[in-house]
Amino acid sequence: MILDPILDMFRGKAVTIPPLDGAFRPNTRLDDAPALVGLTEPDNLLVADGRLLASSGNAVYSIAAGAEPKVVETFPSPITALALSPSGELTVSIESGKLLISGKEVSLPADVSCITALAYAEDGTLWLANGSAQHAPSQWAADLMKKGASGSLWRRDAASGDFRKVAGDIAFPYGLHPIGGDVLVSESWRHQLVRFDGATGNRSTVLTHLPGYPARLSPSADGGAWLALFAPRNRLIEFVLQETHYRRDMIDQVPPAYWIAPSLASSRSFLEPLQCGGIRTMGIHKPWSPSRSYGLVVKLDQNIQPQFSLHSRANGTRHGICSVAEKDGRLFIASRGGNCVLAVDTGGF
Amino acid sequence: MSFRERLQSWRYNLVPDHLVGEILTKRWTDNAIPFLALVATLATFGSIIPGFFKLTALQESTRQLGEFSMVVTGMTVVMLGGGIDLSVGSIFALSCFSAVYVFFILEQSIWLALAASLATGLVFGAVNGYLVGYLRLRAFLTTLVTFIFGRALFDILVTTYAADVQLSQATSDVLDFIGDSTFWGLSVSVWLAIILAIVTHIALTRSRPGWHVLAVGGSRRSAHNAGIRVRRTVFMTYVFSGFCASIGGFLIACRLSGAGPGTGLNLEIMALTAAVVGGVSLGGGRGSVIKGLMGAIIVLTMTNGLIRLGYGTGTNQMVLGIMLAVAVTIDIRWLKNRHKVLNEVYVAPVYLKMGETQSAVPGSGTPYALDNRLSAADHIGLGELEGPEDVILDRDDHLYCGTRHGEIVRFFAPDYVKSEVFAHIGGFPLGLAFDKAGNLISCVGAMGLYSVSPDREVKRLSAETSRSWTSIVDDARLRDPNDCDIAPDGRIYFTDSTKRYDAHDWALDSIENRATGRLLVYDPRDGSTKTLLDGYRYTNGVCMAHDGKSLFFAESWACRVHRYWLEGPKAGTAECVIRDMPGYPDNINRASDGNYWMAWLGMRTPSLDLSLRHPDMRKRMTRRLPQDEWLFPNINTGGVVKFTEKGGIVEAMGDLSGGAHPMVTSMREHKGFLFVGGILNNRIGRYKIEGADPNWTSPASYWGAKP
Repeated sequence: MILDPILDMFRGKAVTIPPLDGAFRPNTRLDDAPALVGLTEPDNLLVADGRLLASSGNAVYSIAAGAEPKVVETFPSPITALALSPSGELTVSIESGKLLISGKEVSLPADVSCITALAYAEDGTLWLANGSAQHAPSQWAADLMKKGASGSLWRRDAASGDFRKVAGDIAFPYGLHPIGGDVLVSESWRHQLVRFDGATGNRSTVLTHLPGYPARLSPSADGGAWLALFAPRNRLIEFVLQETHYRRDMIDQVPPAYWIAPSLASSRSFLEPLQCGGIRTMGIHKPWSPSRSYGLVVKLDQNIQPQFSLHSRANGTRHGICSVAEKDGRLFIASRGGNCVLAVDTGGF
Repeated sequence: MSFRERLQSWRYNLVPDHLVGEILTKRWTDNAIPFLALVATLATFGSIIPGFFKLTALQESTRQLGEFSMVVTGMTVVMLGGGIDLSVGSIFALSCFSAVYVFFILEQSIWLALAASLATGLVFGAVNGYLVGYLRLRAFLTTLVTFIFGRALFDILVTTYAADVQLSQATSDVLDFIGDSTFWGLSVSVWLAIILAIVTHIALTRSRPGWHVLAVGGSRRSAHNAGIRVRRTVFMTYVFSGFCASIGGFLIACRLSGAGPGTGLNLEIMALTAAVVGGVSLGGGRGSVIKGLMGAIIVLTMTNGLIRLGYGTGTNQMVLGIMLAVAVTIDIRWLKNRHKVLNEVYVAPVYLKMGETQSAVPGSGTPYALDNRLSAADHIGLGELEGPEDVILDRDDHLYCGTRHGEIVRFFAPDYVKSEVFAHIGGFPLGLAFDKAGNLISCVGAMGLYSVSPDREVKRLSAETSRSWTSIVDDARLRDPNDCDIAPDGRIYFTDSTKRYDAHDWALDSIENRATGRLLVYDPRDGSTKTLLDGYRYTNGVCMAHDGKSLFFAESWACRVHRYWLEGPKAGTAECVIRDMPGYPDNINRASDGNYWMAWLGMRTPSLDLSLRHPDMRKRMTRRLPQDEWLFPNINTGGVVKFTEKGGIVEAMGDLSGGAHPMVTSMREHKGFLFVGGILNNRIGRYKIEGADPNWTSPASYWGAKP
């Protein structure tokens, strides 16, 4: 009705989120998939020299089916991102704000202290996503709840080793996917994928209104990409983001684990917030109920449009997926909330 | 406390926001808009036209009003039946002519003229009714045809006989009396209109045919399915409308002593506007005679006022058209959106700062620390049961519980595999207790306090208490009777948790957190129910102390347990024995070791506790988010807590995995086992209590050994 904008001032506008429909239609593929190995909070997956590497806590593990994960290398603080250069150097960033290439520390510009993703272009250029200027990578929830938009995108020249800031004011860049000289960035707090021009830093939005918070991107065999979404959008959380006083008091007075904020796993403590739809009734937890955590991996085609997706719904356990890697027709999925790495045949899609 | 927080607490605890929602639930709010329109119209014209309220002016206006309101009453009845009658104007005119013709030209008695007038109206009404009701033609088109036909006939007759009427010498005292005199200050037409309105109102609201009309208008198909003779009912509404129009016609014949081309012109539009402006729904089924009358006064005041201000017929018609359009829009929008408005404004949260609590986290070292013991409980009735809020065992060890289907189910000892429906009550049976004679007393959600005798006879004990003076909604009704217990003298003490929400919406009360819970007592000797305490945040479980001199009751959303004294120096007063628990208490029952068991239906969360200090945030949440997304207390984890008579906590146990007993609303100790129920669960748990007296039973504890 034409009076709606006027009435909205009095009645409060409904908070809405994109529906899980089309390519995002829910299924239970992630919960149906067999676990390859159990691993505590596996974060970043990487294929290197035919091996599958996974970061977990302070260590990088080598993963193979039917075997315990083997420690490849350990670091002084938790690992925040992994990448492999075209020449085979393992590149690692850690929580304390350091970047190591083949074990050697590289001096970083002062502004880079929250590396959330790393990726090499074909010419050897290293792309860095700096999630936030104020927070460490593990404090991402605080950055979101304070409506942070201080992330930046950096590149390191292959030949000279010099760093250059390509763009700033990004709301938590969390994934990188180089396309030629450009790079595709997942801008998590704005639920969108943005393409940055490698030379000028000009941005163009590629995919918006994602139903979750996008995390890392990784290439797929057919020239497209895989996108992991680490948490679902939730109408209560989006509502709290608009409630200044409540949100401020919550950040000050409530322990972060019990915030009304997205999460990598939920329903582990009775101190966590509960929404009406999430009440267990007659022994059933409704899979479509609102949840703070979810498992979602999306396949993007060459034009960066979603084709299909894999889900672990509200009643599932394979939540908090931050990274996937495709290798030899198999897709490996690291579930931080589910403490495991899954393997799915890509031929089945 | 910050200044802003203090301001919030004043704003939300002192301003009674909840009254808006309560007023909106009233049916009479439908009358509010037409009533305001009426007052506004009278005030406007009364102030700009000098002498508008003078007696002589009013006399003429009311005479006109009498005739008009009769037509509107007829129209109202047709519209309530789901139809529309556009032919009232022409029936009015023809009836007027019939009376004039019989009296002035045939020079018959005035009573014969009245008969002719009525016959004309009834015949035309019957034609309409037959075509619309029995042949099921469209009401709009059919009455439009009758209108055109009747109007044409009237025009021919009036031009043919106008001169004869003028020359007639016929006079009658009765006619003069009806047309000009007054009776107790009011003209005959007004008296007749009042009588007709009263009779019609009573018929519509208090008689079978009237209900049938409303039912047919509300839903034709449902009315048919209910066995109402829809066609005859529709037929009768048109006949009634014709009858009303014909009396109006007769009255104007008396008043004007003749009939002219202007008689009854545009009357159908005025009558329709009056009915709709008054709030009679075009869709049928909603409205009343009073609304029609209000509309009639508005329309007549408006048209007469405009004429006296010097505006012509064109302006008048335009104003009528605009009024009709506005009224129809409001009618439709209101009808469509009323429940939405009600939903948006009903939840009116208040400010509450919960006290600091001890942790219940496993391993925290406090007496409240929950563990996983209850997940080891055996299950009874898994998959067969839905919603055993309370459980109880009789002297023969049989197990009873309520279900959300309104039944009381009995599981047979010793293995509790076989079950039967012990009794069907309806509602949602919640708290249970056995009295001395072995009757099962139950608080039935949304219904009241009920008793089921051992031979399964269901009897209502109480469904209401006395109403408080300041309530808008009827708080005499028991909305959410929750738990009961019986004193040694047979009096039944029970709680009614909230006045604001129905039993199935109990969790919504936690969002609002308004203190409306009550403790009541039912006295079986005289059948009376009295309110003992009022103003608690969701009163829940009740348990008689072991000595029978006091009782414990739980205040769920405040996380407190109170003790109410029946005897002794503190008789009639309550004191808080446990405060600031980390969980929301539900039912309380006796334990074999002289202590008490208390169920926790859920756990406090820091985020919800904080939101209780932000009532504005909760208010916006209820308006901007669908209910499934609202922040709730964590009722996916509950537990069982044992406490002493002094309020000390002995132990706490839970099911942290949430697999078997996520929410616990009741527990009952019996022969060394604890039977656990949950209002949202699909099973009853049976848990072996270590070190409990294997012979102790609740019936024996209350009423002594088996007689």
